[in-house]
Amino acid sequence: MKAFKTLKEKYANELTLACIFIAVFIILGILAPDKFLTAYNLGSMMSQMPELGLLSLGMMAAILTGGMNLSICYIASLSGIFAAYVLSSDFAATNVGIGIAAAIGAAMLIAVITGLINGGVIAYIGVAAMLVTLGTMTLFQGIATNITQGGAISGFPEEFMALGGGNVFGIPVPMLIYIGAIIAAYLLLERSAWGSRVYMTGCNETAARFSGVNTKATVLKVYIFSSVMAAIGGLIMISRYNSARVDYGSSYLMMSISAVVLGGTSIMGGHGSVIGTVIAVGIIQIVTTGLNVLGINRYLIDIIIGAILIGVLAIRFLSRRLSDRNLVKARAAKVGAQ
Amino acid sequence: MQTFLEIDHISKTFPGVKALSDVHFDIYPGEVHSLVGENGAGKSTLIKIMSGVYQPDEGGTIRINGKETKIHNAMDAIRQGIAVIYQDFSLFGNLSVAENIVINQVIEKNRQVLNWKEIRKKAAEALRIVGADISPLETLENLSVAKQQMVAIASAVAQKAQMIIMDEPTSALSTTEVETLYGIIEKLKAENIAVMFVSHKMDELFRISDRFTVFRDGQYIRSCKKEEIDRGGLISLMVGRKIEFDSLANPVQNPEVVLEVSHLSKKGNFKDVSFELHKGEILGITGLVGAGRSEMVQALFGLNRPDSGSVKIDGKEAHIDNTWSAVDAGIGYIPESRQTQGLVLDKSVAENIALPQLKKYTGKFGFVNRKKQKETVGEWVEKLDVRPRNEELLAMQLSGGNQQKVVLAKWIATNAKILIVDEPTNGVDVGAKSEIHKILRQLADQGTSLIVISSELPEILAVSDRILVMRRGRISGEFVNKDLTQELIMDKAVVS
Amino acid sequence: MVKSLVKKREFTIFMIVVVIAVVIAISNSVFLRPDNIIDVLKSNSVIGIMALGMLPVLISGGIDVSVSSTIALCAVISGKLLTISGANLFVVLIVSIAVGAAVGLANGLIISKLKISPIVATLGTMSIVLGAVLYWTNGEWITNLPEDFKSFGTATVAGIPIQVIIFIALIAVTALILKYTLVGRGVYAIGGSTSSAVRVGYNVDKIQTLIYVFTGMTVGLAAVVHTSIVQQVDPNTFTGLEMDVIACVVIGGASTMGGSGSVTGTVLGVLLMAIMKNGLILARIPTYWQDIVVGLIIVFAVSIDVLNRNREQEKLVRVDVEE
Repeated sequence: MKAFKTLKEKYANELTLACIFIAVFIILGILAPDKFLTAYNLGSMMSQMPELGLLSLGMMAAILTGGMNLSICYIASLSGIFAAYVLSSDFAATNVGIGIAAAIGAAMLIAVITGLINGGVIAYIGVAAMLVTLGTMTLFQGIATNITQGGAISGFPEEFMALGGGNVFGIPVPMLIYIGAIIAAYLLLERSAWGSRVYMTGCNETAARFSGVNTKATVLKVYIFSSVMAAIGGLIMISRYNSARVDYGSSYLMMSISAVVLGGTSIMGGHGSVIGTVIAVGIIQIVTTGLNVLGINRYLIDIIIGAILIGVLAIRFLSRRLSDRNLVKARAAKVGAQ
Repeated sequence: MQTFLEIDHISKTFPGVKALSDVHFDIYPGEVHSLVGENGAGKSTLIKIMSGVYQPDEGGTIRINGKETKIHNAMDAIRQGIAVIYQDFSLFGNLSVAENIVINQVIEKNRQVLNWKEIRKKAAEALRIVGADISPLETLENLSVAKQQMVAIASAVAQKAQMIIMDEPTSALSTTEVETLYGIIEKLKAENIAVMFVSHKMDELFRISDRFTVFRDGQYIRSCKKEEIDRGGLISLMVGRKIEFDSLANPVQNPEVVLEVSHLSKKGNFKDVSFELHKGEILGITGLVGAGRSEMVQALFGLNRPDSGSVKIDGKEAHIDNTWSAVDAGIGYIPESRQTQGLVLDKSVAENIALPQLKKYTGKFGFVNRKKQKETVGEWVEKLDVRPRNEELLAMQLSGGNQQKVVLAKWIATNAKILIVDEPTNGVDVGAKSEIHKILRQLADQGTSLIVISSELPEILAVSDRILVMRRGRISGEFVNKDLTQELIMDKAVVS
Repeated sequence: MVKSLVKKREFTIFMIVVVIAVVIAISNSVFLRPDNIIDVLKSNSVIGIMALGMLPVLISGGIDVSVSSTIALCAVISGKLLTISGANLFVVLIVSIAVGAAVGLANGLIISKLKISPIVATLGTMSIVLGAVLYWTNGEWITNLPEDFKSFGTATVAGIPIQVIIFIALIAVTALILKYTLVGRGVYAIGGSTSSAVRVGYNVDKIQTLIYVFTGMTVGLAAVVHTSIVQQVDPNTFTGLEMDVIACVVIGGASTMGGSGSVTGTVLGVLLMAIMKNGLILARIPTYWQDIVVGLIIVFAVSIDVLNRNREQEKLVRVDVEE
């Protein structure tokens, strides 16, 4: 019982989010059982969610350090485009296996390079993450557009489609990849020594440095992690669309920040959990798809998501102020009694 | 003559600490009245009461120009003629000198449209009164600290302050700049402005004060005219603290040298510092605030890169460019500011203790063995008697003394060969102080070599085996801690 | 005097603008032709107006990414007013500015009263406002603008397009507000040190709110100016515009850390971006290269700024060492 109570305290935010998730799910299920609860709809949600989810995990790592990664969507599309370049080559058409492996390798290479650029300037020069990624966002977009000349790259081997559209035991492959990424993100951020350093650096960079933590290397790795997550998302995207374009996924920037903040990660850094982000991604996904199948205009959905973001933060602020006030009152009462 | 300000029977209680107890202070227009006392004597608390930041306990009185009054907040203090020159000046580095001087008045009068000509004129006038040769058009952050301070004083003058409080105003100034400041204070006197001066530098106190008031441990000790007392007398009033710590000094020196620092220099920080640290020794370093103590030891910990000189650990040249290489070299550093540098306040005690030595709990694949971490952390919490004994609490939920024990634990747990402790008992209550002293001594007995920096002389005398005194970036004296008095040390610390 | 001028950040940007202008002028004679210059100014007046609105936000240490959605909203409302009710230009201008101000007020109140960080708050309103615009219009264009509005769009004063005149007027207004009003000085004070600003008596919440209202108002103005240039309203055309606007202000010397930034710098930032884009077009370099160049400039500009500051920090004298 006591263990349950501490669990409840420690994961209060995640529990609330989970309740919201379940409530939304039930409401949508009741409102449109014939549309929402169909195997087709659940399946399509499961194949869409991973893209937002992966970008959100990448965004979360950056926000945990008190930073931001505005370039994340273009990292996804740039890696996707490089992979597409390899995939659409004559070589890949004849050597499918090696071709796909090379494409994935190319995407990862781009992830590491973009991560090094972002992280290098942020950690080693010390420029605000928002400014750096604002610049690299434009830069990566420019490079991506230059390669595709504004068009799409297509003509991938058939086998590559499995990444975005395949099923294993009825579970979409993207979902499996996403689950793998969640586990990896959890282990890396919440269980590894590096993860500990990320949280501590995000909370108080000075104290972490004064404790002998190589904060620069820690932050650099965060942006590489962020890029890698984005690149995996990019691979799924090009597979799902069977082509690569610059603007695939550009709408995920706003959504991923919303998901991270909704999931309880503090924009100041240092606090947040992988599971919170994952549930928040789930909420945003079912709200989006659910309202969609209910026939609600997709633009209204944007409004709702924006309102949820501000609403949740407003409620968090007000409840914190209320509890602070009670604390002050309690303290005043205690002092008065002395 | 009518006093400008008179304070009587003022006390201030914080949860668990009585910072001021029934103190008295008064000051006349045109007088320089210095408030003297060691760290923790209650000087800053009194300043905060005078400037409206703190409200005193019920029962005391504050009179301004003979009339009883209350100082509700910082704005109210200014309105009643009291201005404080804070150590950080509360100025805007990105704005011009003129704006920094005059903006308070513009806000006070709620003038929505600015008349720059008038602002510059007023600023120039205020600068003229304090005799500062500064262009009102210059951007503040381009000025030296001394000139920024002049701007702060000019701002107080422009606000028609009748009393200006200067808190350690010379701590960051060079000798010539200090002379200029004396000149400014003379000019303020001539304008009939009262100056409350806070410092513990003897020579300057005797140079500019008309009167002294001594505080010790939050209590009023004595007020007297400059002519009525000499330097030695004042020092003994200041340092004659009731709290004496048990002396834990160990007279036997292990001949093994662990750390050898030679001719370490960094421009604008410290110069030509050389010393040795023996195994199992506690080396105390003291000196006034701004003598370069922290800057020097931070160079040993890789936080502050020296220009020249060498550091040898166990006889081998050590290259410490950053904090992580310092930790690898077996050095630990417990910084002065526990709240911002020592701890990550909104993380748990366990996470804080584990931070410098995560490697120890990390397996082959980089994952932290939480069970092992919890056990080790629990052991240290137990050993150092951190209360409450719950390593899951957030660091900010602990009292100052227990927080300091957590910082100690986190470094002791690394098995550091050399531990640098900067102000080990800063803001810690008396009981916890002796406990921390005992912990330091135990560590030394177990073979750790410690460098302890402290401004509190009783503390330095209680824990150190040897004592280095720093003054203006250099080592000005070295003592073996035997038959030493606070006066002897103070003598080497002050600029004569 | 000359020395302090040279030391200023604005001078560096000015020199870069001059060098780029000279390079372009040498390689292409079209660049310096009056009609080209006027054309460049006219087509960049919208971004210029918005940059002036963004400037106080960045000086105060905030950011506003909702401007691209707000301009879409204001443009659509202006367009509808013009086509449906045939309202006169003056009414349209007032309504558009008022709508922008309302969005700004919402941003300002959320940021100052609910203490939600500017990036998150404005991301939220960005999503809400754009959603509302697209829901309302379904992304449809408004094209049948009345003739007298179209003639306003091509009007000139002494050969200078009306849009450029508006831009120049706003430069003057913004400069006056920032330099001569207490609120304007408060913007710099908050950016320099919020705690000191509170201590000297600035009403920080009020000033913060007004900053975002001002931004909203400039966006409302920019919406009408934009519509007058392109003579139609496409609610989808503004996506990503906020980044261009922020980039101009940042290149002009404002830092997102707050405290610094000037009207001169911002105008130079706008000019730099404008002539660079024009130069690339004149040199027939594919427009795709624009983003790469702009991205690199942003990263370099902010990095050099930080490196300089770090170097100065390192030289700081902390102890008066006895020599």
